[in-house]
Amino acid sequence: MRERLGIKRRRYALAVDARKCINCKACVVACKAENDVPLGRFRNRINEESGGAFPRLRASFEPEQCHHCASPSCVRVCPTGASYQRSDGLVLVEGDDCIGCGYCIIACPYDARFFNEQTRIVEKCTMCAHRVDAGKPPACVETCPTRVRVFGDLADSGSEVRHLLDSRRSHVKQPETGNGPHIHYLD
Amino acid sequence: MPEPRWGFLIVAYLFLGGMSAGLFFVSALATYLEDGRGAAYSRVARVGALLAPWPVSLGSGLLVFDLGHWFRFYKLFVTFQWHSPMSIGAWLLAGFSGITLAAFWAWLPETTLPWLVRRLPKRLRFLSFVDHPSRGRWRRPLAMAGLPFSIGVGIYTGVLLGAVQARPFWNTNLVAQMFLFSALSSGCAVLILALGASREGLDHSDAKLLYSLDITLLVLELFIVLPYVIHGKLSPLSVQRALDLILGGPFTVAFWGVFFTLGLVLPLAIELWEMRPVLLNRAPLHPGRLLAGVSAALVLVGGFTLRYVFVSAGQMSTFQ
Repeated sequence: MRERLGIKRRRYALAVDARKCINCKACVVACKAENDVPLGRFRNRINEESGGAFPRLRASFEPEQCHHCASPSCVRVCPTGASYQRSDGLVLVEGDDCIGCGYCIIACPYDARFFNEQTRIVEKCTMCAHRVDAGKPPACVETCPTRVRVFGDLADSGSEVRHLLDSRRSHVKQPETGNGPHIHYLD
Repeated sequence: MPEPRWGFLIVAYLFLGGMSAGLFFVSALATYLEDGRGAAYSRVARVGALLAPWPVSLGSGLLVFDLGHWFRFYKLFVTFQWHSPMSIGAWLLAGFSGITLAAFWAWLPETTLPWLVRRLPKRLRFLSFVDHPSRGRWRRPLAMAGLPFSIGVGIYTGVLLGAVQARPFWNTNLVAQMFLFSALSSGCAVLILALGASREGLDHSDAKLLYSLDITLLVLELFIVLPYVIHGKLSPLSVQRALDLILGGPFTVAFWGVFFTLGLVLPLAIELWEMRPVLLNRAPLHPGRLLAGVSAALVLVGGFTLRYVFVSAGQMSTFQ
């Protein structure tokens, strides 16, 4: 119906320019503050990698969170339908329907989910759906001082994220799982 | 490396659920096997049916208490998610539990229910209908209805793990077959233990049936475990690395020492040794109580260890 009326379906995604990341962890803190993430748990993280031998050393940082996949395995395995995907691509958990079995945590190839000991349900990055619905960017995107993350609608040809992915090479992590992840790392 | 979410309770459930599936499977098979005089293995059928509901009930209890909110388990039964192995499994488990309880009722000895009914308080006397004179007639239809459920419960635990493409250690259909044959074999082992411990002991024909079945199942399991390892080593790098968990990694001793040697090869050797009069001379089988007990106990140790290794190692394996 939407297509017939000429209304395009939104497809939210993140483009990440990891080379700009300085590992300040402002995104991690902003996420915790915005979403009341419990102590010791995180909805996003920065993977650190270092190598080389003195004096030729390297360090690289790669922000990661839920990839809001096109065919999310967490949604497929959920026995109650608590894990679901919105039509705009965001993968969310309906807390009232989650029984806390943990199957989705195991099924996620990106280890993006965790069990909240306080609420006794599974939680994950929501891409700040409450902010997105209000027309604001996710907290991690807004707070980043070096603008590592670019959030937007892939279906909108005028969006910055679409422009970046059209004009620069990018890759996704572990495409072989078939999940169709939507965090696009710019090369 | 992610922290493991599924621990001892899940391992115990997978083991107990499989054990019940095996008990019911063997009992149902024995219900239908006849010689010229009628049912040939009625003791196996009866003991299997009487034992089958309890391990799975205990296991399902453990499963519920492993949930974040145990009282929300009912949410599994207000929906059916065809794409979720856990949802399919929950419904299979519910059907299987119901059938095993009905079979338990149908196989209760003639004297037990009248004895129970006589002891009911007056207000509960209306429950005397459970002592139905024709309940024995339900044994065969229930065995027929329960067979596919028992195979379903035995195999789905492996599908539950195998269907997770994010964990290369699990992501092969061989896990499902391995769990199924291990489940059916553990049912045989419990029956060997139960009948061996009874006053009459394990008689020749029951022992022959249970040993033949168990040997067949253990051999099938053996020829799934070895292809699993060979196939894994010839798979993409992530699967090869996942297999390192049992080939030099932290689960090597548990898998090869406890499961494979003690829980699979040794009981198979003992049972073949015990069966040699039948296999070589068609002579009657007189199983030693001690050897029968030891081999059956080893099968159970192997079944539990298999599930422990798979649940634990699988959660540690990731795509590289």
